[in-house]
Parts: sequence; structure tokens; C-alpha cells
Amino acid sequence: MPQPDAANDERFAVVVVRSGGLAGLQKQWRAEPDPARLAQWRELVENCPWDAAPSASSGADRYQWRIEVHRGDIAVRRVRLGDGQVDGPWRTLVDEVRRAAPSTPRRR
Amino acid sequence: MYPGIVPPFLLDRLASTDDPRLARAAAAARKTLAMPRPPRPTRTRLRLSIDGDALVAEAVPAPDRIISDTQNSENLPGRRVRSEDEEPVGDAAVDEAYDGLGATYDFFWDAFARDGIDAAGGSLLATVHFGDDYDNAFWNGERMVFGDGDGEVFVGFTRSLSVIAHELGHGVTEAAGGLEYQGQSGALNESLSDVFGALAEQHRLGQSANEASWLIGAGIFAPDVQGEALRSMKAPGTAYDDDVLGTDPQPGHMRDYVETDDDNGGVHINSGIPNRAFHIAATTLGGLAWERAGLIWYRTLTAGTLSPTADFAAFAAATRATAASEYGEESEEVAAVRAAWVAVGVEEDAAA
Repeated sequence: MPQPDAANDERFAVVVVRSGGLAGLQKQWRAEPDPARLAQWRELVENCPWDAAPSASSGADRYQWRIEVHRGDIAVRRVRLGDGQVDGPWRTLVDEVRRAAPSTPRRR
Repeated sequence: MYPGIVPPFLLDRLASTDDPRLARAAAAARKTLAMPRPPRPTRTRLRLSIDGDALVAEAVPAPDRIISDTQNSENLPGRRVRSEDEEPVGDAAVDEAYDGLGATYDFFWDAFARDGIDAAGGSLLATVHFGDDYDNAFWNGERMVFGDGDGEVFVGFTRSLSVIAHELGHGVTEAAGGLEYQGQSGALNESLSDVFGALAEQHRLGQSANEASWLIGAGIFAPDVQGEALRSMKAPGTAYDDDVLGTDPQPGHMRDYVETDDDNGGVHINSGIPNRAFHIAATTLGGLAWERAGLIWYRTLTAGTLSPTADFAAFAAATRATAASEYGEESEEVAAVRAAWVAVGVEEDAAA
């Protein structure tokens, strides 16, 4: 599996897609870290249990999360998580991506 | 039979299995079904109404509502803040949830003689003020949970009775045997909650099928959002068109069915197809939508014969069978149900 800070000059990005919820609205955040911070981002990514088996969440209208690590235009890592699974290192990564991603202002 | 922790439909299924690997479990289920259980006290109330010149007094079951507050944390269930028969507390979300659960309970009782989520008078549990600017409401398998919204897109999920009834409806579907929350069975699960949401609102307003808006979640968008609701059962795909939210992605016909792995296989997207089928059946029949179309959909869900993995075609066939059983094979109800599923492309027109 390619590492996010492997020695090449392709663009590295982490993408978080939230779907579902009562409204069924899809929202996407994409963080393209500054090269100077790649080491911190690698740690955030590596702390997450990418190979852990997904667990089914009970109920309805919960969010569903798709988290991807991109190298250029290719997703080199991808996981789908239920709302209850976005905890611990996943929560840290998701929060960091949401903070780093540019927001979409509403046109007035 | 009195309510127990294991739902009766599960015991029934287990008791009737002929799988030799489950022989011991089947015997245990049969024994459990045969065993008398202690009665649980049921809440009742006296309801007065006028029928012609007569004042009618009747004792009817009453809800048992318990509202809790997580105070903007995500630690469920939160602190209990209002229970049944207690006065309003002055917190809009708490009191809206309490009133909305009451209106939904009344709808299920008046329309289908169903005593709450479990049909056995179990408590209706809800939590408000969940999370920080939380833009969602959900059913977690035992309670309804409502966020406050972020104030920019959503301004609170308890403002809409159709949203409250939608969440309670998920509990009813689960108690009836469930529809797997993935793909077409998941979209049916979603659609049934929208049907119950719309009907609860129409019941409270005394609206006929042709007077109703058929909107789900009207009133929960912030003023700047270009949209009137989350979904339109009458015209899927037209509920909003906003520069931040995008365009309502719901299809209203099978030719536009959306294949996706997100949203549990598009359960909130493709529900537009069965939603529109229900709207067509209800408005074709006219009158109060819960009396015929609603009853057919409800009986189809609760008959105990619907597979948890039913797809649109299986559900369509099941609603036709229910209509035939309730009203006769040559009835206008069967014709309306058949025409509705043909109109959305789930069934083929036999006359074509």
C-alpha cells in the first residue's frame, strides 16, 4: 500500500464524504495538506484502523462516512464507516480534514 | 400475548422453522409463546368527541412519552426533562418533541388502532439537543434523537411533525419485522417513514389527500436556503435547489433509479419512487389518505409476511395482495394501487 508521504511529487489529499442522515444530503471535505505538514498527516492516517472489519450500525437515518486517501487522482485507501464508528483516531482524522477543507460560502 | 423482550414475530419465525440445526431453539420459542406473561399496565385516557347530536365518551390508550436532553453532547440518552402528563417546560425542542410524539401516537391509534411503536403501549423515548450544531435526526434502535441544526442550513428538527413521525415510523417498521437498511429494502424502509410522516401531519390538520402538501420536513430549513422541504412525495426531485445543498436528487420513476454505494445504497434517494407511488394511490382514491391507501401500506408492513429484503417489485405485489384481501380483487383500491406502481415503472401495464 503506498504511503502518503512516499517520495514522489504526486498530490496527497484526504477526502471525507458524509452521506445519509434524515436529509440524505451528501457533503464532502477535501484536505490537501501543505508539504511541510505531511508527517503529521501521515501519522493521523496511520493511526486509523483501515483494515478493521466494518460493523453494522443499528437504527435508521444515521450518517454514513467514506474516507479516502488520494495520491494524485487515485484513491489508495478507502473505508466506509457507520456513524457510531467515527470515533477515536477516525474522529481525529475527520475533524482535521473538516478544519483544513475550504468551506463553501452561500451566495446571497 | 403480552409484550416481552423478544418480539412476537421473531418467536413466531423461530417456532415455525424446520431447520434441524435450530430444533432446540424452535422448541424453546414454542414453549415461550405458550407461556403466559404478566400483564403490563396500559395507560388509558377518556376522549370526548361529537358524533352528530351525540357526545361520545370513549376510553382509549394513551402514550407514555419520555423526553431527555443531552445538552449538546452526544452522550445518550441524556437527562430526563419531561415525562407523560407533565406540563410544558418552556424549551421549544423538548415541548415540540413531546407534542409531536403525542400527535404521531394519536395518528397511529386513530388510523390503525396501533398502540405505539411496539403496538403494546411501550414508552416513546426521545432525546433532544443532541450534539453540537448537529444537522440530523435519527432512530437508534430504541429512541428518536434530534439535533438542533447548525442555524445556517437547518434550524431544528423537532419543528416538523413529519420529521418526528418519520423517526417514530422507523421504530414501527423495526417492530413489525424490519426492512434491511440497504438498497431497495432500505429505500422502502425510508419511504414507509415518509408515508407515516406525511399521514401524521395530514391527520393532525384534518387534510384530505388532495389538500395535503406531501412535503417531508417543511419548516426545518433556515430562511436563506432555497427549498421548501427535505423531500416531496408528490414531485420527487423538486423539494430544494440551493447553491450549498445542491438539487434534490430524488427520482420519481424507475428509469431514473440512482445506483450508488453511499447513503446505504441510496436509501434516501430512491425512496422517491415508492413515495410517488403512494402519493398517486392516495390521490387517486381521494379522501383521507390513511383510510385506504395508508391502511393498505400499513397492513402490508405489519402482516408478518413481508421479507426484510423485499425489493420494490415484491413490495408492490404485496400491496396489491393486501388491497385485494381488504377490498376485493375487482375493487377501485386494487386498481389504484396497481396504477400507482405502473406509473413509477415498478410494474408493467398489463393492458399495454
